[in-house]
Amino acid sequence: MEIRYCVLLVAAAASLGGCASLRHLFGGGAPQAQEQANAPGGSGAAASSSSQSSGGASQGSDADNPPRVIQPEVERRQVTVPKIRSQDIEVGGYFGTLNIEDFGAHPVYGVQAAYHVSEDFFFQAEAGRSKGGLTSFEVLSNIQLLTDSERWFKYYDLSVGYNLLPGEVFLGRNYALISSFYVLAGVGASQFGGDQKFTVNFGAGYKILPADWIALHVAVEDRVYNSDVIGVDKLASNLEAHIGLTFFF
Amino acid sequence: MSLRSSPARLCLCVLLILAAPLAQAAREYLQVFVTAPYLELHTGPGRGYPVFYVVEREASVDVIKRYTDWFKVRTERGVEGWVSQKDMLGTALADGTPFHFNFGDRAGFSAHRFEVGIFPYGDYGGASAFSAYGAVALVPNLQLEVSVAEFLGTVANGTTADIGLTHIFLPERRFSPFVMIGTGIVYTQPKVTLVQPSDTTDQSAFVGAGFRFYLTRRLFLRGEYKNHMVFTKRNENEQVDEWKFGIAFFL
Repeated sequence: MEIRYCVLLVAAAASLGGCASLRHLFGGGAPQAQEQANAPGGSGAAASSSSQSSGGASQGSDADNPPRVIQPEVERRQVTVPKIRSQDIEVGGYFGTLNIEDFGAHPVYGVQAAYHVSEDFFFQAEAGRSKGGLTSFEVLSNIQLLTDSERWFKYYDLSVGYNLLPGEVFLGRNYALISSFYVLAGVGASQFGGDQKFTVNFGAGYKILPADWIALHVAVEDRVYNSDVIGVDKLASNLEAHIGLTFFF
Repeated sequence: MSLRSSPARLCLCVLLILAAPLAQAAREYLQVFVTAPYLELHTGPGRGYPVFYVVEREASVDVIKRYTDWFKVRTERGVEGWVSQKDMLGTALADGTPFHFNFGDRAGFSAHRFEVGIFPYGDYGGASAFSAYGAVALVPNLQLEVSVAEFLGTVANGTTADIGLTHIFLPERRFSPFVMIGTGIVYTQPKVTLVQPSDTTDQSAFVGAGFRFYLTRRLFLRGEYKNHMVFTKRNENEQVDEWKFGIAFFL
């Protein structure tokens, strides 16, 4: 029984001999002294004792190998500066009524996008469509001047707007909503009666912002172009009133 | 009841304690410190909106968003208001460096990255035309431009799309001329009643010259002339003069 314990202890001692932490227990202190000698600012006494113990060959190897510089294991902190979000782009849609000259007033719907350059000026693009009805001549004579597809009134425009009267709307004593009365003018194209015409648009609107990112619009615009749909060249004025909802991005 | 809720409260406290450093490490908004004597907060993003709050020197504010020339900020006490970009020059970052941002002034006009504009007035070979363009600056003197135009006349309607290079002389001046060269395509829809010819799409090349004039903030006027050479499918090519004048802004 005691022999078994002796064999077990000898086997354990032999296996632990390879562990770095126990190496100096079995006379493995020389490498540690070597590390101290190589370290900058290390003990000179330790280095000299080590070289003396290892002889002249060791002195030659120290001269060939320059002292190793310890690389600091410091991880640089990555500072990420948060970006400031800009909300200068406004995108949305609208719905209203368009009075197509000679063809009656009908529902109109469209989309709009704007870029606010400053607190005063903005650039806006609109595109919308409506469908004209019958002229009084068509009703009385029962003759169709236009086909069904030609009655679609499609338009788009590029405008420059100006916030003429910026202000606030007060709801009770606790809520104040930003508002603005603006004017705009621009050019575009209108397609109606089988032809596309150069169109000048101008108008005004009023918007209220329930929050910083949403706006409610009420706008009136006139779209003017030279028309010859009913056989006479004239300046056609197409008045439009709509309400819209836009979002800031 | 209090005994039953104690473990939940304990868990909540532990979670809050663990989450606090994380929230502090990753800030959602940029934090700036007031270096001017004070920082005025307006009720809205405009010069006419009244000042309702003042932040003292060395206090910090979080910059929530930007709308044109105005910054929406939140103070340490949770008060939110709008600060003009001119007043934001009196702030600094946490490390003490000044808070830099795109100011949108005359210096930006001289050297900017992007610009966009519209030409409400235009004439393309006698037809009324309107167009829009966008440009990206390669260097302050040279920019790559893309423009789209629609011309509506009595003889024909059509659309043009151009891409080209623009060289700007003296970009630092308020009035700076430029020259341009490029290529594009022209889509033409003839308007005749007796014989209806087919629509055509032709390639074109152009040279041009123009000017730009700084107005205010980010706005400037721009006028240009282009001489298009349309490579038609007929025996001879067609030369078209285009004039346009409009307004643009830079980013």
